[in-house]
Amino acid sequence: MHIEKNLDVINACRFCFMCRHLDPVGNVTFREADTPRGRALICDRIRMDAANLSNADFIDTLYRSALSAANRFHCVSSYDETGLVLAARKDIVEAGLAPVAVAALAKTLEKAAFSVKGKGRALYFGPTPELYKGCATLTGGDPGKALAVLGFEAASKKVFARFKKAVAASGCKTLVVAEPSAFEFLHGNVPGVKVVHCAEVLKDQGVKKARARKAVYLESDFLKNYCGNPSAARDLLAQAGYTLLPFGTNTEESYAVGEGAVVYDTLYPELAERLCQRVYALAEGLAKTRFITASQTVKDTLKKYNPAFDVITLEEAVSLSQA
Amino acid sequence: MTPKNYLYEMIRSELTWAVGDEHVQTNDADKLGHSIDYYWVPECWHDRGEKPTPPDFVVHPGTTKEVAEILKIANTHKIPVIPWGGGSGSQGGALPIYGGIVLDMKRMNKVLEIDPVSMTVTAEVGINTQHLEWEVEKAGYSTMHFPASIACATLGGFIAHRGTGVLSTKYGKIEDMIMSLEVVTPTGEIINTLPVPRHASGPALTELYLGSEGTLGVVTRAVMKIHPIPASRKFHAFLFETMHDAMTAGSKIMTSRLRPCVIRLYDETETAKLVKRVLGIDRKGAYLVFGFDGPEKIVDLELEEACAICAKTASEDLGTEAGQTWWDHRYKFFYPPYMFHMPQAFGTLDTVATFSNIEKVYWAMKNVVQENFPQATFIGHFSHWYDWGCMLYARFIIDEPPKDPSEAIALYNRIWDMAIRAAIREGGVINEHHGVGLKLGRIMRDLYGPAFGVLESIKKTLDPNNIMNPGKMGFPGKGI
Ligand SMILES: Cc1cc2nc3c(=O)[nH]c(=O)nc-3n(C[C@H](O)[C@H](O)[C@H](O)COP(=O)(O)OP(=O)(O)OC[C@H]3O[C@@H](n4cnc5c(N)ncnc54)[C@H](O)[C@@H]3O)c2cc1C
Ligand code: SF4
Repeated sequence: MHIEKNLDVINACRFCFMCRHLDPVGNVTFREADTPRGRALICDRIRMDAANLSNADFIDTLYRSALSAANRFHCVSSYDETGLVLAARKDIVEAGLAPVAVAALAKTLEKAAFSVKGKGRALYFGPTPELYKGCATLTGGDPGKALAVLGFEAASKKVFARFKKAVAASGCKTLVVAEPSAFEFLHGNVPGVKVVHCAEVLKDQGVKKARARKAVYLESDFLKNYCGNPSAARDLLAQAGYTLLPFGTNTEESYAVGEGAVVYDTLYPELAERLCQRVYALAEGLAKTRFITASQTVKDTLKKYNPAFDVITLEEAVSLSQA
Repeated sequence: MTPKNYLYEMIRSELTWAVGDEHVQTNDADKLGHSIDYYWVPECWHDRGEKPTPPDFVVHPGTTKEVAEILKIANTHKIPVIPWGGGSGSQGGALPIYGGIVLDMKRMNKVLEIDPVSMTVTAEVGINTQHLEWEVEKAGYSTMHFPASIACATLGGFIAHRGTGVLSTKYGKIEDMIMSLEVVTPTGEIINTLPVPRHASGPALTELYLGSEGTLGVVTRAVMKIHPIPASRKFHAFLFETMHDAMTAGSKIMTSRLRPCVIRLYDETETAKLVKRVLGIDRKGAYLVFGFDGPEKIVDLELEEACAICAKTASEDLGTEAGQTWWDHRYKFFYPPYMFHMPQAFGTLDTVATFSNIEKVYWAMKNVVQENFPQATFIGHFSHWYDWGCMLYARFIIDEPPKDPSEAIALYNRIWDMAIRAAIREGGVINEHHGVGLKLGRIMRDLYGPAFGVLESIKKTLDPNNIMNPGKMGFPGKGI
């Protein structure tokens, strides 16, 4: 079983309470199962007796995790609890036990097809090609990250192979990626191609300073907790004239409404809404403040449950400055 | 109770009417999470492949009224109700040993008011204490309640166990921090204790609930003191040749009526093992650290006085840096892999005594453990200091306890029994801040003597059906 490769995490987390306060799902459901300890106990039960792998309650709990990695980021020993959950999901899928909704979503994701438009010094993969003059554009669905997160490793590899083929056909040696989950998935994994996050490119291109404004930058799970928290996004917003306000009660918690689980809102809309409600509630004292996120998915989720919520993506912030 | 019988379904219906469908859980994932708290025994039970007893229902009330409703339902059916905060208690206090309803309080997590004039915060007690501290800090204050489990536990759990934080020596334990409480009695009445903790209007009702471990009712709200964030907080560490020398210096600091926010003294074994491993301070002897906070001038003066006391007998002045390092890493001791872990057997023999007795207590426990259980290591530090004495955070660790869970638990209980009874003989009180729970209930009668009858009468009167956390704190169980 894949979880057995994470025995150190099971042993560390199953009786440890030290980061429970940072589990975004646990913080809205208040359920013991929705904490690293709760999930590690489940994995331990499965490790002890494989029959537990088919327990529908256990499976549901392992898919409910928002995989924010805030817990790992906070843990003094950096135990990879998200890695454990991903391993468990692989075991579930390989045993043919994926929940119906998960399997159906995987089927859709497997169909992703990629195509390149135009020619250029670099290839851009994201929703705002007009910001990247002289770049070719790559379109298509998720490059395989979502399938990997759901535990469909083989299918993820197939989609990723198609993605790499499209990149290779473009002849570009630099790939600019907008969505943080895709960036984390692709970074260092596309042979012969340098993968950069769009914030870095936009920062280097330089943004016109618009009138001074205040905003909240909602930290991305992927950039902060998985990719070493690069400063490019914040630097870019500073260039564009934004003064960033602190948000929430602390700097450790994830307010990224399920970003780490990539397709969270599709699978668990009621939980995604609760994660959003927490952000709206914390935003109450910040009337007229704009929120900026690196992730289109985060923006869409926040808008879905409160269309009036003023949230834009990094790229949109740049577009507005240029306008 | 057997799931899928019709009585079970009737109770489930009543519970869902009280709190809503989504706030009653009967699934295996939640039951598993609630069948194990931070007590070594259920952890060992699980580790050895056994299944700890789960609750029948996990209920998350959202309001005090809902708590009252649930207790009324439980009284009708005479089923146990076990309040659960964060499950981080080490005494098995939150374990549903007879099944029943686990009342998970975490949904009641709102900060209701911060009063900057009286410097108090009013909050629902299911709030995680780190979240509470963050919210209070956002308003420019601090609760000054910094237990190692700040991120694990709820305010209600600390109230129920008379918990304490690292800065207790100046700011007090939870019972010194609480102004008043809202409580739901076992029969479902909602009561409030008097709004201030100092009065002459009869005995202190608030005190009755502080440390009651969910056996006398459910605490739902608390008004708690808050403090300004101090302008300065400084630390200093010394090394002493022996624990006795360090204890003499530490007690002198307290009896000189200086006001350190913290003093911590590690015995020679813990200095050699944990202080080295966690802090990287590699010395032979007893490590003593203390800190002061407040206006800088006062901090500097008090620090100077305390340093002068220690300098007389210390073998080495480790300076401010070795003190600051301790503060910066104070919680690291409790993270894996620094904390003891399975398959080791370990227990915190938490005891408190006067300065005249505390070393006697230490030696009595150490001798009893070492003489009777040569396979055990005994370590200790002295954590929470008072004008009159301090707390001993002693621990025993067995690296390879029996594999059979029954044998392992029998050995574990034997060590506890002998060590704690030795401590009591020397004037020690079990315990200072972890509570009694399931673990130490059997010792309460000996500890209190005839006075335990008073507690038993209170319990019987308030909880005629014995629904509230039966079998804990030495009160009657339900039978197996
Ligand atoms: C790593 C670690 C470090 C620790 N360090 C400290 C420390 O520094 N200081 C300290 O004091 N303790 C410490 N503890 C122990 C533990 O955190 C405390 O005992 C804490 O008070 C338990 O709170 P909880 O919310 O987790 O309660 P639980 O474990 O859920 O419950 C404890 C008891 O309180 C009762 N209870 C809970 N909520 C209520 C309520 N609202 N009304 C009535 N009864 C209730 C339960 O029924 C149970 O009897 C530590 C624990 C861990 C895991
Ligand atoms: S990730 Fe670290 S802090 Fe969190 S439960 Fe696991 S070991 Fe504990």
